[in-house]
Amino acid sequence: MLLRLNQADTRPLHEQVAGAIRRAVAEGECRPGDRLPSARDLSQALGVNVNTVLRGLRSLRDEGLLEFRRGRGVTVAEGADQRSGLQDRVLELMAEAARLGYSRTDLIEMIRGIP
Amino acid sequence: MNDRTSHERAVHWGTAIWTAGAAGLIAALPWAASGRLPDRVATHWGSGSDAPDGSMPLWAASLVPALIWLVLALVVALVVRRTGAAARPWTVTTLLFSGTLLVGAQISAVRANLGHGDWHQARLPTVWVVVAVVAAAVAGGGGWVLGTRGRPTPRPVGRGRREPALAIPEGQRLVWFSRATNPWFQALAAVTGLVAVSAGAALVGGLAAPGLLWSLFVPFALVSLAAAGCASVQARVSEQGLEVAFGPLGWPVRRWAARDIESARAERRTPAQAGGWGYRLSSLGTTVMVRGGECLVVRARDMRAEFAVSVDDAERGAALLNALYAHRPG
Repeated sequence: MLLRLNQADTRPLHEQVAGAIRRAVAEGECRPGDRLPSARDLSQALGVNVNTVLRGLRSLRDEGLLEFRRGRGVTVAEGADQRSGLQDRVLELMAEAARLGYSRTDLIEMIRGIP
Repeated sequence: MNDRTSHERAVHWGTAIWTAGAAGLIAALPWAASGRLPDRVATHWGSGSDAPDGSMPLWAASLVPALIWLVLALVVALVVRRTGAAARPWTVTTLLFSGTLLVGAQISAVRANLGHGDWHQARLPTVWVVVAVVAAAVAGGGGWVLGTRGRPTPRPVGRGRREPALAIPEGQRLVWFSRATNPWFQALAAVTGLVAVSAGAALVGGLAAPGLLWSLFVPFALVSLAAAGCASVQARVSEQGLEVAFGPLGWPVRRWAARDIESARAERRTPAQAGGWGYRLSSLGTTVMVRGGECLVVRARDMRAEFAVSVDDAERGAALLNALYAHRPG
């Protein structure tokens, strides 16, 4: 699998790591059931602290993209490929909304208002 | 390239002529001397004495060895077809060795039967057998020299022509991870490991004679470790370079700095080409063979031979390594 980190990105590093993996899952770099490289490997290759990597992996687990399994390491969850693409677009939408001065609640209200 | 194909054609024709010629010689020899041979020809001699213990009619003495030779040549041809041209030195060696040996054996057998009325009288002096084996060994050695020396040397790798390279956008950090596993070796490691652990537990518990348990524990533990080592491999390409980690624990590890890897490419290789599974040294260089198929092949500075590792998605790993080399500082 190929991971990309954008050095010009101003988001916190753990979000960037999560974003890189989310994108890899969305682009089919790793399919559901595939095992991810270990957090230590990821941290060495990306040049990011291992705790930062773990924080990014945990947030992806909370999103339902990854599964932490004892003895099998971190694997890509079932259906994660579709979900991560959608998740990416939601995050983009939130960033765009924030840039235009809308809060998260405004956005939720907007979605609710759509019939 | 023209050079290479003409060389290949010469080898093909040479092999075909040798196969047909040896088969013809083996089949024709008994007929050529048929007037001075007994009705049944002695064809087998016991190891202890020089008296024969087996015979065949003339037609069988002519056809059977010729058929053995043709079947052997066919098997070699099939193996070459499956594995490609890289296996050529041993092909030439095998064909020259076994062909010479069979022709030598046939000459010895006909010569031993010559002028006798009954096959029981045929005698085969040991020295003829030795001469035939030595001649075969010399021919085989000559074949090896011919096969390895006549082979065109691998083309010097010119950069930016055939190697794939990945575009690295400004300000982006790219890393590539890949792995390969072999389920057969995993199963073998698990089964032998289970036996070793059981034997170890019985040893500690004193359940049976220690001698027997040790003789179970040690070989099974060794096989299990070896199989686990051959069962999986992981490769990683980042700005630091290439890292290849073996086995389930990711240890031992081999590393190369990105600036030291002059070229990388993907290639399909089979275990037959690499010389088997595991960490192989062959005319192709070093190959870490976990399963047949896609391999990442790198040529490092200060290294005479190439290094290859069987991993999935090798094309992009090679492309990233080439891009990193092109972007190297300084």
